[in-house]
Amino acid sequence: MTMRDLIVISTGNLVRMKLRTFLTTAGILIAIAAFVAMLSFGAGNQEYIEREFNNLGLFSTMQVYPKYNPNREPAPDTSNAPELDRSALERIAAIPGVNLVYPFDAFNVTVRIGDSTFSSKAQALPSAAVKTKLFSRMVAGTAFDSNSSRQAMVTEDILKRVGISSPDSIIGLKLTLSARVSTVDSGVARIVGDGPGMLMRRARGLRMDSLGNTDYLNKVLRVEASEAFKRFLDGYMSNQREITDTLIICGVREGARGFRIRGEQIIVPMTTASRFTQGGPTGNPMEIFGALRSGTLFSQSGGADSKTFPQVTIDFDPKVFYKSIRDSVEAMGFRTFSFAAEFEQIQKMFVYFDMALGVVGLIALITASLGIVNTMVMSITERRKEIGVLKSLGADEIDIRWLFLVESGVIGAIGTVGGIFFGWVITRIVSAVAQAYMRSEGIPEMDLFSLPPWLILMSLGVGIGVSLIAGYYPAARAARVDPVEALRNE
Amino acid sequence: MAEPYIRTVDLCRYYDRGHHVVKALDHVSITVDRGQFLGIVGSSGSGKTTLLNLLAGLDTPTSGMVDLNGTPLSKMSRRQLSAYRAQKVGMIFQSFNLISHYTALQNVETALYFSTRTPAERRRLAAAALEQLGLADRITHRPADLSGGEQQRVAVARAVVKNPEILYADEPTGNLDFENSAQIATLLTELNKGGLTIVMVTHNLEMAQQEAHRTIRMQYGHVVEGTPSTVVGEKRP
Repeated sequence: MTMRDLIVISTGNLVRMKLRTFLTTAGILIAIAAFVAMLSFGAGNQEYIEREFNNLGLFSTMQVYPKYNPNREPAPDTSNAPELDRSALERIAAIPGVNLVYPFDAFNVTVRIGDSTFSSKAQALPSAAVKTKLFSRMVAGTAFDSNSSRQAMVTEDILKRVGISSPDSIIGLKLTLSARVSTVDSGVARIVGDGPGMLMRRARGLRMDSLGNTDYLNKVLRVEASEAFKRFLDGYMSNQREITDTLIICGVREGARGFRIRGEQIIVPMTTASRFTQGGPTGNPMEIFGALRSGTLFSQSGGADSKTFPQVTIDFDPKVFYKSIRDSVEAMGFRTFSFAAEFEQIQKMFVYFDMALGVVGLIALITASLGIVNTMVMSITERRKEIGVLKSLGADEIDIRWLFLVESGVIGAIGTVGGIFFGWVITRIVSAVAQAYMRSEGIPEMDLFSLPPWLILMSLGVGIGVSLIAGYYPAARAARVDPVEALRNE
Repeated sequence: MAEPYIRTVDLCRYYDRGHHVVKALDHVSITVDRGQFLGIVGSSGSGKTTLLNLLAGLDTPTSGMVDLNGTPLSKMSRRQLSAYRAQKVGMIFQSFNLISHYTALQNVETALYFSTRTPAERRRLAAAALEQLGLADRITHRPADLSGGEQQRVAVARAVVKNPEILYADEPTGNLDFENSAQIATLLTELNKGGLTIVMVTHNLEMAQQEAHRTIRMQYGHVVEGTPSTVVGEKRP
């Protein structure tokens, strides 16, 4: 018997038993529809995340941090850890495949736009960086075009703070940034005071004959050092100078995205921002504390070359595998964070998620496949004579087994194809309802479901495969029918 | 002396029923020459159908052997036995055993499924066989729409469409009236005259004696008359 004969005979038998075939096929169809809808949900979410990562250029972006993680306790020995400074940036930029390296260089400012004045944070970025995917998702206007441009970009969040609803309305408005910064000079000046006179007054308070006593000397040094530090901080914080700059708003970016993608609400060209970024820490105690901890408090006056950064972003060639860049950077003694690596973890999570959904769908399918077993067993009971006749005509056990397996397969194939279509229809309906809800809530719309080719092929394989497995027992039973008994019954 | 086409030697078929053994066939030795028409008569339970099933390879003997043209059926694999039935054996039954949801044409065509013929060729041969048996206008009819005689003729067409070497007929006229029985008997005789070896089981001694070259009688699983040199009744000329 050829496969064509088997399919023709099987289909004929199934058509003859319309109601039974319909009910059995409907069971498979519904189970496959559930299987498809559930896995489609996982695939849709995975695709959405992947698309968003791609749109933001996250697969070709890597964050670099100094080796010492201040949030990690206890702090490791960092005596030999390299600084994330300009020279480190140059070494990272020289790694093959790296397109661009830029630091996270943010500063506190007071912002004035029109009549609104508020405190915020600004960030200095090179013009090449604002052209990368990470910063180029604009709502209105354009990015600034040079590092010394007299322009600035703001995020959508700023619109709310100044009470402007249309992003286009803010383009071209003046943005005044001001910051009070401290200098090491003013702190040192307070230690020195009025010069030799003060030093003489301090010296008169000492017991010169006891300076040879170690305990007394240590005590004196502690008291004097503490006094000097207090005077330094007093001078450092009280003698601040104000820096002010007025720029034109050239573009509005999408809002901030998360802790790993650090983007402040105001972005200023790197050279234009240098007055702020190199002016020293502001009076904010937290900033001073941060500068002390990172060792940058006294390096402000050392110029741009000696400045260190808490974070650096690498933009690399998407064709280059992130691990080669990561390994090179980590070999320099830095920590890295890559969304590509994170995505690998997310993918693993989605595999488990899909497996869980798939198992639920599979349980439904196995339940439905019991319908096939029942249908085929009933069919064999009814067709014992036919099996006997076929054997008397020369059918082998293998022919009979295939005949019933193909019947199961045809039920499975029809149910699976119908189930994939039905599942797709369900996902379209649910997606349309969900999108309508997202629209009404002002949430960015996304398609919750996806039906990629692999899911169609997998559903076909699973649906037909499970049907064939379900048909195997009845088929084997049919093959074992004794023709003498089957014909004698008549 | 010519080598017999079919030969059974001490053929036994016992059924173990737990507390006792039913000897359906007990040490039966017969021969059938090529082209011969052998009639087997006997009462119900005499072992006629069991013998026919063993000859067709549908059943397996408890002991003894069936030799087909020098090859013992017991030496054949399951697939070889299937091929033997598919290529060399035609079978007709008392209750016709047509597949009820198939048309006459499909029923006849079924016998050719287990050959290498194309679907078109199968249909042509099946239609020709039905036409030859006077059923050209019945090819699209299902068994329920045919008379008993017509159904048996469809069964004969199904048995002979593959041009077998031997035809096993199990009470072919058992469910037919006199007229249809005569028609089937004549048909079988014609087929035998065409060279087809026939082994026919029947209750009808008169028909067997009239149509068969040789008739044997069975009782309680034994051949009681007509083996191997004596015959029951007159030999057909």
